[in-house]
Amino acid sequence: MTKSKIVSADEAVAEIHDGAKVALGGWIFNSQPMTLVRALVRKGARNLHLIPAPGSIAPDMLIGAGCAASTVCVFISFEQFGLAPHFRRQAESGALKVYDLDGPGIAGGLRAGICDLPYMPVPDLGTDLPKFAPEHYWPLPSKPGERKMLAVAAVKPDVCLLHAQQADEYGNVQHLGPPFFDAMIAQASRRVIVSVDRIVSTDTIRRSNHLTKLPSAMVDAVVEAPFGAHPTASPSLYRSDEAHLKEYVKSSVSGETFAGYLERYVRQAAPAAYLDAIGGSRLAALAVSETNLK
Amino acid sequence: MAANPSLGETLAVLLARDMADGEKVIIGTNSDIQLAACNLARRMQAPRLWWISGPGGMVNPTRDHLLSTADYENVESAEAWMDLPVMIDFIDWKIHFFDFAILSALQVDRFGNINTVVVGDQRKPRVRGPGTVGISALCGLAKRFYVCLTRHDRSAFVPRVDFLCGPGHMEGGDSRERMGLPPGGPKLVLSPLGVFDFAPGSKAMRVKSISPGVTLEQIRDATAFDVIVEGAPPITTMPTDQELELLRKHVDRRGDLQRKFP
Repeated sequence: MTKSKIVSADEAVAEIHDGAKVALGGWIFNSQPMTLVRALVRKGARNLHLIPAPGSIAPDMLIGAGCAASTVCVFISFEQFGLAPHFRRQAESGALKVYDLDGPGIAGGLRAGICDLPYMPVPDLGTDLPKFAPEHYWPLPSKPGERKMLAVAAVKPDVCLLHAQQADEYGNVQHLGPPFFDAMIAQASRRVIVSVDRIVSTDTIRRSNHLTKLPSAMVDAVVEAPFGAHPTASPSLYRSDEAHLKEYVKSSVSGETFAGYLERYVRQAAPAAYLDAIGGSRLAALAVSETNLK
Repeated sequence: MAANPSLGETLAVLLARDMADGEKVIIGTNSDIQLAACNLARRMQAPRLWWISGPGGMVNPTRDHLLSTADYENVESAEAWMDLPVMIDFIDWKIHFFDFAILSALQVDRFGNINTVVVGDQRKPRVRGPGTVGISALCGLAKRFYVCLTRHDRSAFVPRVDFLCGPGHMEGGDSRERMGLPPGGPKLVLSPLGVFDFAPGSKAMRVKSISPGVTLEQIRDATAFDVIVEGAPPITTMPTDQELELLRKHVDRRGDLQRKFP
């Protein structure tokens, strides 16, 4: 019989070594793998090289907590709450090395990584991106009359952190909303860690198997993490917590206030204590119901 | 009698008027004005406009209010739901799949190139922006694009973008074609002060129409390059009562545009 892949958040991130290339799934305020990110901060990870899908608080918290030496930036934004505070500060001070990649850069790079190819051709769009990330983009020869092409380097994360809504203990992972880049990231990564809001039986998985975006062969570890994307949304289960996102941005104005934030919500708060710190009525209000449809 | 339109409502109406029936459009994250424009056009002259959520892959979700394009709530009212790994072939590689995209920016320059990456040097920027995502490919590969800015000042309208992440007319003239990009580029730039297009030949930005109450001098003062003015540009035709009523009743019932872009 197949072995269960369920582990705790702390166990899941224990083997992520300093200097690892860590990919992060989700999309801006959707499905950021926050329980796993907080575990990584608690562990005191250092010098990580981040490869986030378009994101917000997941890369920003790792950067703010001093865990990252560099990040790929496809898009890192707090949207209506402004620019990502720690990403912005550390990029502007020069402390954080930023590799700007565009859509073709990340999509082509992941495809090359998935297919064990050194690079993938993408159209040369005449941008300044290759000038500032020559490790990722270089010109390819083309015949007269052909499109001008660039090579984008394979993107092969050592490990990826993803969040989805449900999985069985064997790692059949189901998305109850858009899967964004999660499947490609999982395919390209050497090790795949997925947190889910709930564990369900394999019978439940089979009944709606079209929702299984990550079959068990693609998944190494499953973490049961109720509200594991908080303060971002977990599609169809709960919404993003705008008040908490604002609190995060506000606490990020100084090193001292952000240390206070991390102490309260991350360092002293293993997953269950985190939910207590947020508060039951607050979490209940985020749960999707007919009365709070926005 | 409709109340005066807010900036966001005006921009949405101006964009909607320029859309043709049957065109294919992509909308990115955080795109209230873009989304309103497309849904309004579908209520007016373009009922078969086809739009897709860039991040979520939902096609033509129909709502009477504005939602984030990444929001799963778009799923239940969509007519198709495409996975991103399928969509990216159309976004990042295929030529002219999309008729247009509507983009915002930290900076736009004289030739309609745009920048959402940094102000200053990428290695130690004065302002670190959110990044490029699909902007490079949409500017480069769609049949045309629009630039929609909710501010117009010398830090936004610059002679040359600090970081070119969305190719417009590049260095002007035929430089975009010489670069090997397919025909296309920016059609209109919309700002609170006016609507701008690009002169044939030079491909440099020119005033197409001016917002009511704004002077040419104001536009010149707020633009850090010589914007082309031919004759006396007309006043922009503001949203009609009928357009505003459609917008407020069927597209943006919750008044998000009035609240976010007064």
